[in-house]
Amino acid sequence: MSLLKKTPLNKVHHDLKAKMMDFAGWELPVWYTSILEEHRAVRSGAGIFDVSDMGRVWVTGKNAGAFLDRVLTKSAQQLEIGGAQLCLLCLENGGILDDLWVYRVGTERYLIVWNAANVEQKLDWLSRWSGQASDVIIDDESPNTVMVAVQGPTVHQLENLRSISHLPRFGHTQTEIGELNVFLARTGYTGEDGFEIISDAANASSLWESFTERGVKPCGLGARDILRLEAGMMLCGQDMDTDTNPFEAGLGWLVDLDKGDFVGKKALLEIKRRGIKRKFIGFQMKGREIARSGYIIFHSGEEVGRVTSGGYAPTLGVNIGLGYVPIELAVIGTDIEIMIRNKPVAAQVVNKRFYRRGA
Amino acid sequence: MNPKEYKYTEEHEWICPEGGDRGKAGLTDYAQTQLGDLVYLDLPEPGTEVEQFKKMAEIESVKAVADFFAPASGKVIEVNQDAIDDPAVVNQDPYGEGWLVELELSKPSELDALMDSDKYDNFVAELEAEAEEEEPEEKEG
Repeated sequence: MSLLKKTPLNKVHHDLKAKMMDFAGWELPVWYTSILEEHRAVRSGAGIFDVSDMGRVWVTGKNAGAFLDRVLTKSAQQLEIGGAQLCLLCLENGGILDDLWVYRVGTERYLIVWNAANVEQKLDWLSRWSGQASDVIIDDESPNTVMVAVQGPTVHQLENLRSISHLPRFGHTQTEIGELNVFLARTGYTGEDGFEIISDAANASSLWESFTERGVKPCGLGARDILRLEAGMMLCGQDMDTDTNPFEAGLGWLVDLDKGDFVGKKALLEIKRRGIKRKFIGFQMKGREIARSGYIIFHSGEEVGRVTSGGYAPTLGVNIGLGYVPIELAVIGTDIEIMIRNKPVAAQVVNKRFYRRGA
Repeated sequence: MNPKEYKYTEEHEWICPEGGDRGKAGLTDYAQTQLGDLVYLDLPEPGTEVEQFKKMAEIESVKAVADFFAPASGKVIEVNQDAIDDPAVVNQDPYGEGWLVELELSKPSELDALMDSDKYDNFVAELEAEAEEEEPEEKEG
């Protein structure tokens, strides 16, 4: 028997008759009515996701910034208060433990939002490195809070978000929605404009309903997965993991090798010096067959790599995927084949940002 | 509800017996609901011989790939090109416009072993009751 963790919105999902699934140990909706309808709502209107599975960890204290700079691939201390950035948590060998958002909320106050997977391992990792620094408090607030993502081109027009519609991309603030105190950031994982909102767990259903009663459509993991895939956004644990380094994953832009020493820096400098052998790519299927995670990539009859994510892209009306191939094949326009049902099926390397809003 | 004149498998295929030992086959309403939006059908070529309860096709939804097992032995005489072109028709009308293949049955008596609609209604009702009690076990990478 599986004992799945439940978010503060679990009852709301069941009341909406959502089809539920296990995602990284959490019971979450895969869809409410239809993945394609929910995907469409986010591309053309507004949708709301329960993303309470993501971890919310406060790092505070006099040495909070210095500590984060020691474990993250970009400098947190260089952020202005109100600023935020995506960065990586790397192992000493340069392998990717997670990608995460760090928000600077005060002089000595930072909020980390990371993926649902391997939370214990990541918290242990932080404790291990903070053990060497005094005046750092690490506080996992995930169990006491709820987090939703409200995403789509019409989100900024919502009456209850109008007061913060000036917030810049990646900006964040402590504010109120109705009478609920929230932490709100202009971030997301769909390729659309939108906000991610954190509040006390007790506010979960009021927060959810304040959007759904304004016509924002409940959306599940199925839609979230194809929205992020279309936008070429990676899923940690699937598109990259501890056996992947940031440069082959195309995430070198999240690594600042010019900043002071940090965990993994030595290995990453060496990897960069030696050069990478394989690279993360996007590809498009030429026909109607669908490539899925784990399928093998071939080139000229030889196995050359593996698909990490793949599926139907409703916005583009084609089938797309992500995966790794040798560096010499990681060139836009290269013909590759994906082995589907024991048959090689034609595909082509394309820009992995398949969808860009306003494009 | 599930049509009275059809026969059903435990893997949620239906077959509709027609005259001359022929039968159209497809996915049940329960199956299409569980799979969600269908986006690709990998159906066998006409002429292919199939064996009862053996895999004969693959059905893909946005989220998953599912096997389709032959509800009876025989030869594929026609596939539904409209459903191949737009698999959403299987979601919209699984027992009508959303049929998948037409079979020429080699052993029509095999149909006697399948469930009738009353049995299948109960079969699905039990599955739904179990799903209410259990937590989902499906895994996502």
